[in-house]
Amino acid sequence: MLVAWKYRERKSLIQSFDPRAWLIFYGSFLVGSVIFWDLRILAGFLIVALFVVFTSGIKWLEMRRAWLFIGTFVLFFSFLTFLTGRGGSEFYDVEHIIRTIEAPFTIFGWRPTLTISVETSMFAISQMFRVFSLASMTILIPYSLNPAFYGVTFRGLGLPDKIAYAMDLTMRFIPTFGRDFQYTMDAQRARGFEIEKIRMGLFAQVRRLAPLIVPVTIHAIMGSEDIIDAMDLRAFGIGPRTWYQQLRYRRRDYVLTVIAALLFTGSIGLSLLGVGKFWVPESLVNLVEGL
Amino acid sequence: MSEVLTLDVENLSFRYRHREEFAIRDISLSMGSGELVLIAGPSGCGKTTLARCVNGLAPRSYKGELKGSVRLQDQDTSGIALSKISQMVGTVLQDPDRQILGTKVFSEVAFGLENLRMERQEILARVEETMEYLGIAQLRDRDTHSLSGGEKQKIALAGVLAMRPNLLLLDEPLASLDPASAQEALNLLRRLVDEGLSVLIVEHRVENVLKISPDKVMLMELGRVSYYGEASGLEHAADYREVKLPARMVMKLAGAAGAVPEPRLRVNEPEAEPAELVQFEDVSFEYTKGVEVLHDVNLVIRRGDIIGVLGPNAAGKTTLIKHAIGLLKPKSGTVMVEGKNTHELTVAEIASTLGYVFQSPSHMLFAPSVSEELAFGPTNLEHSPEQIEKEVKEAIDIVNLSGMEDDPPLALSFGQQKRVTIAAILAMRSKILVMDEPTAGQDYKNYMDFMDAIVRLPNFEAILFITHDIDLAVVYANRVILVDHGTIVADGAPYQIMKDYQTLLDSRLLPTSLLDANLEVFEQSQKFLRAEALAHYFPTLD
Repeated sequence: MLVAWKYRERKSLIQSFDPRAWLIFYGSFLVGSVIFWDLRILAGFLIVALFVVFTSGIKWLEMRRAWLFIGTFVLFFSFLTFLTGRGGSEFYDVEHIIRTIEAPFTIFGWRPTLTISVETSMFAISQMFRVFSLASMTILIPYSLNPAFYGVTFRGLGLPDKIAYAMDLTMRFIPTFGRDFQYTMDAQRARGFEIEKIRMGLFAQVRRLAPLIVPVTIHAIMGSEDIIDAMDLRAFGIGPRTWYQQLRYRRRDYVLTVIAALLFTGSIGLSLLGVGKFWVPESLVNLVEGL
Repeated sequence: MSEVLTLDVENLSFRYRHREEFAIRDISLSMGSGELVLIAGPSGCGKTTLARCVNGLAPRSYKGELKGSVRLQDQDTSGIALSKISQMVGTVLQDPDRQILGTKVFSEVAFGLENLRMERQEILARVEETMEYLGIAQLRDRDTHSLSGGEKQKIALAGVLAMRPNLLLLDEPLASLDPASAQEALNLLRRLVDEGLSVLIVEHRVENVLKISPDKVMLMELGRVSYYGEASGLEHAADYREVKLPARMVMKLAGAAGAVPEPRLRVNEPEAEPAELVQFEDVSFEYTKGVEVLHDVNLVIRRGDIIGVLGPNAAGKTTLIKHAIGLLKPKSGTVMVEGKNTHELTVAEIASTLGYVFQSPSHMLFAPSVSEELAFGPTNLEHSPEQIEKEVKEAIDIVNLSGMEDDPPLALSFGQQKRVTIAAILAMRSKILVMDEPTAGQDYKNYMDFMDAIVRLPNFEAILFITHDIDLAVVYANRVILVDHGTIVADGAPYQIMKDYQTLLDSRLLPTSLLDANLEVFEQSQKFLRAEALAHYFPTLD
């Protein structure tokens, strides 16, 4: 059986909008924050995202695990970008080096060297701002979108019946998968299986994970077959269907949709005009050059 | 003009694609409106395949070769789409968890009507009406995943009934229900039949369904019909070792066959002061803050105990047992396993003392062969290869899976998979065996056979099983624990606990014909016996 995300009704900015309006805004926000590389603009996106997070009414305890997971992920990759300088080099031709640190050893004649430049630092920070904005807006969705309205929301956004219902099921598949994983983990631990004890080469490690991976995968496949049967047995897909639930667009939803449209077209327009490219503060360059 | 038959099955045979053998052969069956037909038989007899042919899943979802005909309301279903059939046949599957799609109760019940493209107002009216009829209107805004087993079953039924089918088909609808919920479901079915609906029920708990007087009973064996007729004829047709019949019927049959055993199951005599293996002291637990699932539980499991844990759905039985294996740690109080606090032990460490068989096989089976599956636990516990080989072989024999050592567990039937999960824990040779609903999805003969074998094993110092089946506790337990609302409401010898019908009823447990008969002769027998053995005390039945 599919379980839903831990949604509950809250008095919050995000929940005061129709879910369709919010998803449209979310889509535009994603496009905008992906188009720009200018830290000043990305900071604007981050501020909006943080504002939505702080007004979401979701307690830290509820979101802690999601934040820790995504936060660690984002920080790790931003740090990796910073260390390697990869990814951003296409945005700048000249690097203003702050410091070069050479390792006191060589590996097969190659000496690992860390080059810290104004550009690599700015690039890593810009990337972190962007990914944090995206993550913040995304984490909120399962907590703030009523699972009972997933299907009708996607239908309302213009998707066909079958796809809208499939989206509904897919949204609920993720927490269900998590629950099944926990069941399997418990069942195998009760058979003396200890994941902490797996210390071997990569292939051996994957092989040793089979007791978790196989049941969870098989369960997911069986679960989807059950769902298909259950849908067939109740005449799903014979033609267009009625959605008994109704969503209502109010004034504020229209306003948010207009904002979303402006954000979308504005972002694309400005980027075509060359606005919002990778930005390095002049003062920082001067400072480094003065060193 | 003759009445149009709701269902008319003629010489039906079905063979699944990729299988050489036909799963069912030459089945014929007909039902008019307002008729109740029971189909019974052991696992693998073809009951579910027959049900799939009636509701159209075979051959549409389950591909294969279908011979003969299935007619619904005088229409041959061979050329009809599944969606059309589903308007004539409403199907309730064995496990409501596998059927419920909606997030909320109301949307679940409305699902079929939405698909039929009814007007919104009509959908709302029909859903309200159906829920009112089934007495579940108060559940309308609940999340479906938060419901109890009995409630889920009613919601699944509501979702089907709202579509107003002519025939209701139920595949083992009682499997996941506590006795009181099962009885309520059966009473409801009787009411539906009396009001003109045709109901076809596939169930191996024959005794329970006989209580609501089916018009006809079909017994199946190896894909064929072995009996089809009135319920009264069952006595001569059914093998009481294969299907669960009322106790008095079993006594009569066993007496007539001269097969009255003297069951003396436990090999070890109880010790005067048995060692304490597991101790719960003032244990409380909550999954969500403020909602206690266990409150102040005190319990000692001693050497020699065979404990039947009974209680309604969602009483906290599984939560209680998960504390003993260390999968859950108490929020307050302590759980000690062999004198050590579970807070200081890993689950793997506890596993060598306490083996826990989970309810659902699909959550744990992974190996390419039954033997490898069974070797997994003992290998984790670092048993020697020679020892593992011996343990695996013995476990396979106990659960009657000999010859299937090299089969992939995931390709076996549900009942067989369940036995593999039990064998997987048996092979670990833990001192205490804990089984969560060991009989779910099993046919009568299979579970009685492996329970017989397990309690005879000298390996276990204590056995504990969670069950909805009172008779399993009557036959096998030497101690019964009733759990309700997160506390232990009764704990003692089976006779002491079960003679008090009011306490049983308060915990949604219904006395069975076997319990009745045992209590009637307890002064002479001084112990609870299985139905065959009770025949000693009821000679007049012959």
